Amino acid sequence: MQPPTSHPKVPPGLPPDMAREVSKVLNRRNLLGTLGVAAAGGALTMVSYRDDAQAATTPKKAAPPKGAKTAGHAWCMVIDLRTCDGCRGCTTACQKRHGLRDEQTWIKVYEMPDSTGGTFHMPRPCMMCEDAPCMYICPVGANIRTDDGLVLVDTQACIGSRACMAACPYEARYFNWEDPLPQKRMPMPTSPQMPVPEKGVVGKCVFCADRLPQGELPACVSACPMGVLYIGDLVTDIAVNGIGETVVLSEFLRANDAVRYKEELGTNPRVYYILGHGQNLGGAA
Amino acid sequence: MTTDAMATTATTTGAATSTAREASLQPFGKPSRPWWLAVSALSLIVLAGIAGWVVQLKGGMGVAGYNDHAFWAIYIADVITFIGVSYGGAVVSAILRLTGATWRAPLTRLAEGTAVVTVLIGAALIVPHIGNPIRLWELVTRPNLSAPVFWDFVAVMTYTFGSIVFFALPLVPDMAVLGQEPGQRLGRRRTTLYARVSRGWVGAPRQRRVMAGALGLVSVMIIPLAVSVHSVLSWAFASTGRPWWHESIWAPQFVVAALYSGVALVILVLAGFRRGYHLEGLITPRHFVRLGFIMATFAATYLYLTFADILPGAYVGEPGTATVFTDLLVGRLALWFWMFAIIGGLLPLLLVALPWTRNVTGMVVASCLVLPMMWLKRVLLVVGPANYDTITRTFGTYHFTWVPIAITLAATAAVPLLLMLLFRAVPLLSIDEIEEIEQMQELSDLDKHARARPQTLASEPAPDEARLVGASSKANRVAGATGVLLIVALLGMLGVGTANPAQAATPQAASWSASARTSTNAPKITIAGVEAGGLMELSATLLDPDGRPLFGAEVDFFFSTTEFGTPARLVPLGSATTDKTGIARLTLGGDADHLYRPTVKGPQEFVATYTPAGAQPVTSSTTVNVTAARSAYHAAPAKPLAGVGNVLVLALFAIVAAIWLTLIAQIWRVRRVCRGVQQASSS
Repeated sequence: MQPPTSHPKVPPGLPPDMAREVSKVLNRRNLLGTLGVAAAGGALTMVSYRDDAQAATTPKKAAPPKGAKTAGHAWCMVIDLRTCDGCRGCTTACQKRHGLRDEQTWIKVYEMPDSTGGTFHMPRPCMMCEDAPCMYICPVGANIRTDDGLVLVDTQACIGSRACMAACPYEARYFNWEDPLPQKRMPMPTSPQMPVPEKGVVGKCVFCADRLPQGELPACVSACPMGVLYIGDLVTDIAVNGIGETVVLSEFLRANDAVRYKEELGTNPRVYYILGHGQNLGGAA
Repeated sequence: MTTDAMATTATTTGAATSTAREASLQPFGKPSRPWWLAVSALSLIVLAGIAGWVVQLKGGMGVAGYNDHAFWAIYIADVITFIGVSYGGAVVSAILRLTGATWRAPLTRLAEGTAVVTVLIGAALIVPHIGNPIRLWELVTRPNLSAPVFWDFVAVMTYTFGSIVFFALPLVPDMAVLGQEPGQRLGRRRTTLYARVSRGWVGAPRQRRVMAGALGLVSVMIIPLAVSVHSVLSWAFASTGRPWWHESIWAPQFVVAALYSGVALVILVLAGFRRGYHLEGLITPRHFVRLGFIMATFAATYLYLTFADILPGAYVGEPGTATVFTDLLVGRLALWFWMFAIIGGLLPLLLVALPWTRNVTGMVVASCLVLPMMWLKRVLLVVGPANYDTITRTFGTYHFTWVPIAITLAATAAVPLLLMLLFRAVPLLSIDEIEEIEQMQELSDLDKHARARPQTLASEPAPDEARLVGASSKANRVAGATGVLLIVALLGMLGVGTANPAQAATPQAASWSASARTSTNAPKITIAGVEAGGLMELSATLLDPDGRPLFGAEVDFFFSTTEFGTPARLVPLGSATTDKTGIARLTLGGDADHLYRPTVKGPQEFVATYTPAGAQPVTSSTTVNVTAARSAYHAAPAKPLAGVGNVLVLALFAIVAAIWLTLIAQIWRVRRVCRGVQQASSS
């Protein structure tokens, strides 16, 4: 180690004590120390990120609220398969609202075999799982959970790894493989609540999260002519559909033996299905 | 031609050392015409791949054949393949070094160089795999520590660093030896580089001891590092719930697959450089046969693991797994799968097993079969389950386009290209090691326990857990210009009239708002609500037009909510029958038949309705200040083992930090001992 006063980087003509000060800043040990501190700072930042990520992924955040004030909402959906006729009005309304391509079916109506050899129609939105596999698996934590329990994609953080598409047991995620369609709406800044399609990022049903706080119904719910789709709130215990029916959620689910799709996976989805015509939702994978 | 001249001097006089020196200097001469031809052809292929990537950047990943039912396909298979073959070079060299296999000496440099080159290419292939590569830095700035892909990134980075150290440390003595070559054979740039790298190395016993210790330690470390890379790569798949991906056998299977294909690549690289630089005197057919035996071991293990992977799932026949295996074994992918099993598994095994194919040609042919077939297997295991729709139990399709093929070919061409360029700069053979082993063999009574013991791992304190509250970066929604907002507002006002047609048509709401217009000869209803003891008592008094109580009439109770917009919606609470005094009562909160309890504190409007036969309903409402409300929501119980993750993440960070520090310490050790001896000798 060179003596500090003879450091070559010290500008000439400085008073000796000042030169010592400058060289103190510049000498190698200090530099290493600074780098070390910076590295430690980086590590700490990583740890704090971990906390953020885990706070976002562990169900702690969704713990029972202390009072009604902090509760806010816990949005959920009830899908009454008894009356769904498979018109796919929900899909069309959703695609129109979110500017999606035809194959991007954020709410998709599946034709499923029933137990009598026939078929039934099953709309599938995002299940807004409380233990969402997509949230654990995203390498950059681009999936966020709102206080109301909605799982949303921060499309400005998504790196397009598609790990969430692999992890989602409900096939609810759709990627923007190419440039989006020309948008027929006012250009708006994108947000997790109302994402604007963008090449190279993933998208999925958002329960029209931008509408719910305004007391408006999601596009699919208001478009369903049969009243199949109910949007509900697990906190206030109310669910409504698009044809004006309003129910006490818990009683409605109990009285109609509602089930959740792929319950055995432990994802705790927030979408409930009401069966009743030989439909069978059993069987994961 | 210089290479021919060199080849004639490479005689079998037993002085392997001088042969090795000459051979290592060989690539440093003026490149031959075939070298230029090869380099230009390979560069063209690499450029075509880069062009393909640019096309993909412009057009999106759709141009590479990707779709929602083939969200992962060829690129991730490429990543696994290239990082996999890297493992072969590193582990073969490390295991041979640790077990003291003396025949390794002419192979190690080539094997380690292959490891470095292929892991870099494999890591680079993540870029076309990602939909938004410009944001890859987010893996550093905002990682999700519960994500396998993040740990992939950490493991690949750590392994890359480890393999570079493993490659670079033995260069120090070799560069010292070659730096002493007289004349202009090294060239000016190489002379400078070699002098800088090997500064202070004189081959003193202390230096050799430290170098042996450092190399031994890095050899020990590179094996678990490589295991970790392939395990975490497999967990990117196995940590999802998809059939066939979600298998516990995947990590060991990936590791063995990597070893298998890696040994095959080492054989090919050896054969290529042996032929190109006429190293027949140093790399003998025995080397190929020995590597062939290692490859056969892995071939048998891999076939066994493939069988063990498929059997239980196919046997139980759970719908998802059974469908995927049907597709693989007898369906759509069957031709390709059996092609892999026979050409990529059994045939190489046979080529090693049969005495008359157990030679250089046989081993090279086997390797040429193994490498593409192992890539094919990776494509199958990625595409099959990715194609599978877990709801309909059907398969989507993935179609290759020229873009991913060009990129894959470019990555393949980059391996020989980078190796040829690399060995223009650094010695082709581990001269020092060859020398040392030759000396060892000459002195048969050499003390074999002189090897330095690996040092204990430098312990690294785990990073303190600290909470730095990061400002959450919400999307800036007020970015729109005022003009745009004004237009939106105007349009919004125009749209209000048609905003909620379904809600506007709510029949119940309509009837409720009409409650004031009850005709004079209709019954009269009044509702009262009292909150007592945490229960909400609703009572409705029903009187006929003459003011007498109505007995036995059914009254419906509601409460009104504006949660889902205005006009308010009526939530049915239940109904009750009036008693003799004309009063119907409903208790909220205490009665098991009426599950609803008030969920929101504050003023709450309750409504009672009675519909006489053939007449308009009559309605009354009251507002009660609710104080005993509780949320109807019950959170799901926490996942089992959810808390273990925190400990695991801390432990992993501590381990990764310890590995990096230990690796850096080894470089520092070697540098220090070089400097120390230099100072001692100069003073």
